[in-house]
Amino acid sequence: MQGKKILVVDDEAHITGVLSLKLENAGFDVTTASDGEEALELVEQSLPDMVITDLQMPYVSGIELATQLSASERTARIPVLMLTARGYSLSAEDLAATNIKDVLSKPFSPRHVLARVQELLDEASKDQTGDQADAA
Amino acid sequence: MRLILTILGLIATVSAAIGGAVGALSTVFTGTSALQTGLIAAGVSLLALGLVNIPIVLLSQREMERLKRHVASSSEGFSEGAYRAPFWIRPVSEAFARAAGAWSDRIEGLQAKLRDVEIRHSVAEAERRSCEAILNSLRDAVLVTDPFNELALANEPAARLLGFDLTQAAHRPLDQIISDTSLRRLIDEVRQSSVVNKQKHVEHPLAANAGEPDDGGIFDITLTCLPDGHNGSGGVVTILRDVTREKEISQMKSDFVSQASHELRTPLSSINAYIEMLIDSEADSEETRQEFYAVIKHETDRVSRMIDNMLNISRIESGIVQTELVEVDFVKLGNEVVETLRPQAALKKITLHQKTGPLLYSAEADRDMMYQVLVNLIGNAVKYTPEGGRITLIVDNDETSRSVLVTVADTGLGIPPEAIENVFSKFYRIESYKRVAKGTGLGLNLVKHIVETVHHGQVGVESEVGMGSRFWFTIPYEFKCD
Repeated sequence: MQGKKILVVDDEAHITGVLSLKLENAGFDVTTASDGEEALELVEQSLPDMVITDLQMPYVSGIELATQLSASERTARIPVLMLTARGYSLSAEDLAATNIKDVLSKPFSPRHVLARVQELLDEASKDQTGDQADAA
Repeated sequence: MRLILTILGLIATVSAAIGGAVGALSTVFTGTSALQTGLIAAGVSLLALGLVNIPIVLLSQREMERLKRHVASSSEGFSEGAYRAPFWIRPVSEAFARAAGAWSDRIEGLQAKLRDVEIRHSVAEAERRSCEAILNSLRDAVLVTDPFNELALANEPAARLLGFDLTQAAHRPLDQIISDTSLRRLIDEVRQSSVVNKQKHVEHPLAANAGEPDDGGIFDITLTCLPDGHNGSGGVVTILRDVTREKEISQMKSDFVSQASHELRTPLSSINAYIEMLIDSEADSEETRQEFYAVIKHETDRVSRMIDNMLNISRIESGIVQTELVEVDFVKLGNEVVETLRPQAALKKITLHQKTGPLLYSAEADRDMMYQVLVNLIGNAVKYTPEGGRITLIVDNDETSRSVLVTVADTGLGIPPEAIENVFSKFYRIESYKRVAKGTGLGLNLVKHIVETVHHGQVGVESEVGMGSRFWFTIPYEFKCD
């Protein structure tokens, strides 16, 4: 997992702060954004391996961010982990239109977030290896 | 000759009596004036004989006159035998008297029935009027249709809601009165179902009428099929109750709960996450740990402030708030708040000053609540005014409304026109300013409640983006009880 790039998006600075520290302590390379718009710019600059985002944010919501990531071939495969303070579950449309892998509700446990991040990155790298094998 | 005369006289008398009897009998069919027709008929029969026996004819005419008078004065006399006819016409007159007596009984019976019908009619008319008055006094719209799906009865609210003329709508087919096809279908379904006296409830939106734009909304419709006495449908009673406001209130309540829980979850997330980090020893330096404690403290204060605000608003909204009324000097109170917030303003190099005249500016109010209002307004101004800005608290009297007028003017960001009407709403926060400052979205709503609901004053705001905002409120000199 060393050196994997993770983008954390939330309009609450305390949340991005605490997640950054937890993930950095685990060896990840973390960048943060305070809304969806800023996140999209950062994704363009440094293609992250994963995006953790809040659902409800000003300008561009978490769902819109995930939808836009899926729309571009370059970013479509980035797994998205959603955090939300509202009761929210993934619908079939969300699953079809985005690459949201899981939704965690707030208040969340940083421990649990780290564990999910590691699992999802494992799955993603397995998929990628599978794809490369298929291509070969 | 005398014999001939006598015979002729007798014939004339009998014919006159018969004529009289015929006339009298026709009386009971068509009225007393027919008696005269009978006498004329008798005269005609005499003339037809070509013989005139004047004394006898006069005699029988006299008899007829007596008879006529008797009928006119008392029909009872016949049956009681008060009238005594000469013996030789007695059989005829007695038959006549019996018939007249029977008919007179019948007339009397009919007259009694007529009186009875008249009484019943006036009672029914009074009941109809009272029914109409009751129907019209209802706030709900009521429609009654008959078995042929025509309008039998309706009240004014129904006419207003569905847009028909009450005076011209009776007995007209429903499709000529109600344009809403789904409502017509509902009524027809219940009518055809013939399940009598069982209420059907439907929630149904009705479009506003052109003339009554306020009347559109969500309606709770109760339909009851009336019995017709032969196991069939006798028609349908339809009651339409406007539940738009109730729906709105219930929606507002559930929105409040959902928003409140969301707003509380955000600081709780921070508290929970930072505590877990401390437990897991993720903070490696004392400095980081101190930072974490500060975040936890800050977010805990935020939760408690939100709960206080929510409870205060809810107390005011439900009318159980306790007020402690004193004479509040707004210049003194303003000074206190300004001094409390000055350090916070100084951090952003914002100048805070108070402008006031030489008079006394006081009103009967709850001092703690007034303090809260000023803290919220001046606190907001500090939050949304960029570095180096200026905030002015102006205290004045408004003699027109007999109130103290307090204005907080800043040189801050200003409020976009599309947001200005919502700034006093619960949990409303201007999206683009969320990053400028933290807030509960409840501060201005509490201000509005304290000023308007509790103190019967007014709040308002004028603002221009980039130029600043002026929030003002008035508190009447004398507190008005509800």
